[in-house]
Amino acid sequence: MGDKVLLVDDEEGIRKVLGISLADAGYDVMTAGSGEEALNIFRNESPSIVLTDIKMPGMDGIVLLRKIKEEKPDTEVIMITGHGDLELAIKSLQFEAADFVTKPIHDEALAIALKRVHERIWMKAKLREYTEGLEQLVLEKTQKLIEAERLAAIGQTVATLAHAIKNIIGGLKGGMYVLEKGMELHNTQYQGQGWEMLKSNVEKIKNLALDLLNYAKDREPDYRLCDPCEPLQEVFHLVQPRCRESGVSLEMECSAGLQPILLDPDGIHCCLLNLASNALDACRDFEPAGTPPGIVLRCLHVHGWGVEYQVADNGCGMDEETRSRIFRTFFSTKGTKGTGLGLMITQKIVREHGGVIEMETKQGKGSTFFIRLPDRRRLDASRTA
Amino acid sequence: MAKKVLVVDDEQDIRIFITTLLETNGYKPIPAEDGREGLELARSRKPALIIMDIMMPRESGIYMYREVKKDPGLKDVPVIMVSALSKKTFFHSQKVLDEYEGDKVPEPTAYIEKPPEADELLDAVRSAIG
Repeated sequence: MGDKVLLVDDEEGIRKVLGISLADAGYDVMTAGSGEEALNIFRNESPSIVLTDIKMPGMDGIVLLRKIKEEKPDTEVIMITGHGDLELAIKSLQFEAADFVTKPIHDEALAIALKRVHERIWMKAKLREYTEGLEQLVLEKTQKLIEAERLAAIGQTVATLAHAIKNIIGGLKGGMYVLEKGMELHNTQYQGQGWEMLKSNVEKIKNLALDLLNYAKDREPDYRLCDPCEPLQEVFHLVQPRCRESGVSLEMECSAGLQPILLDPDGIHCCLLNLASNALDACRDFEPAGTPPGIVLRCLHVHGWGVEYQVADNGCGMDEETRSRIFRTFFSTKGTKGTGLGLMITQKIVREHGGVIEMETKQGKGSTFFIRLPDRRRLDASRTA
Repeated sequence: MAKKVLVVDDEQDIRIFITTLLETNGYKPIPAEDGREGLELARSRKPALIIMDIMMPRESGIYMYREVKKDPGLKDVPVIMVSALSKKTFFHSQKVLDEYEGDKVPEPTAYIEKPPEADELLDAVRSAIG
């Protein structure tokens, strides 16, 4: 069976003669006497080639061409034109007709037009094949690249982790040695020092493990409609004893009339606790000129957002370099005391909420972190983000 | 009289460990928290040995080590490096600085990677100053 060709002409004579000649050339020929009829057959039979007269009563060849190209752009359409229809013929080329032949139709001219159409069909098929092959290739290579990058990232992570763990082991072994010497020599000072070293390093490895778990855990945020002040109040009460111990004042300001919004209370609690702990660390080793060290936690309404949290301290602040690196994994200014994961986790949670985290800081004057969360009241809206 | 050993490290844990190790083995440790304090104490207290870290805030160990080795009063004091930096990286950094400054600074007496083992460090101390 040859290619399907739909032949459209309002003159029955032409349909007959041309139909025979196409069938002789090996095509599977269908005929239609009008544009409307042609469109019906086209939709049912999907011929790869359509041969149509331009001038027909009712739907003319140009309209038919445009409809065919709209529905199946890969169909090749050859226009049949009468003498003096050259303008129409050119117009049809603009609408992506493959070619045109003029009446009276010579078999030879038609054969050439058909041959060119066949070439176009073949080339398009090849082109598609190559494009798809190329897309497949790009896909494969991209996956390999992502894999390589992931491995490199893992390598980096493992190296940094190994370093952090080695440091803690150093502290533990040192503590054991000092404690053992203390017991051996009945020296209570050594005993006390050694025991403190052991305790602080156990605390360090606990924190590292917890932070890692928090970061690696891809837990589905548990969004609930709640008063945005709640997580801030929890954090306030949690941090207060530590602040008092270090002689740092802690205040909280909550705007009245804040609407409940959808948020993951545990996640936001974790974010605010991280920021408040950082603020405390920034105040602890720093003596601000004139003013006593202090932290202010705020929960405010800002236009266009559901809530804005602020965690402000008048501690040591950050220099340019620190500022540019704070959201990176394993970056920490706290030496062996920090894990370098806190702000990474905070940023991750805020982004999951569709929120933003920003910071203003001045070296020697303190830092303020801002978390803004979108005003979401319905569950479906939060899912699409 | 017990021999004085300057211990320079910003990490409190390491300082306590090394000073305890030295004290309990008959030496007199002098602790310092960074390169700047270390250099001051080295010049004022004239220790028999310096045990030092490399990566420290303020004056780094790389700077302090080169200052010690260029100081006529200190250049013969043996130095044991105790650092998380790999030995290879440290020696490479010294080679680059040698070329940059146009003079050759001698290698430290011993180089121990962190975390230090008590026996390893004690052996290095004994072979340096007895």
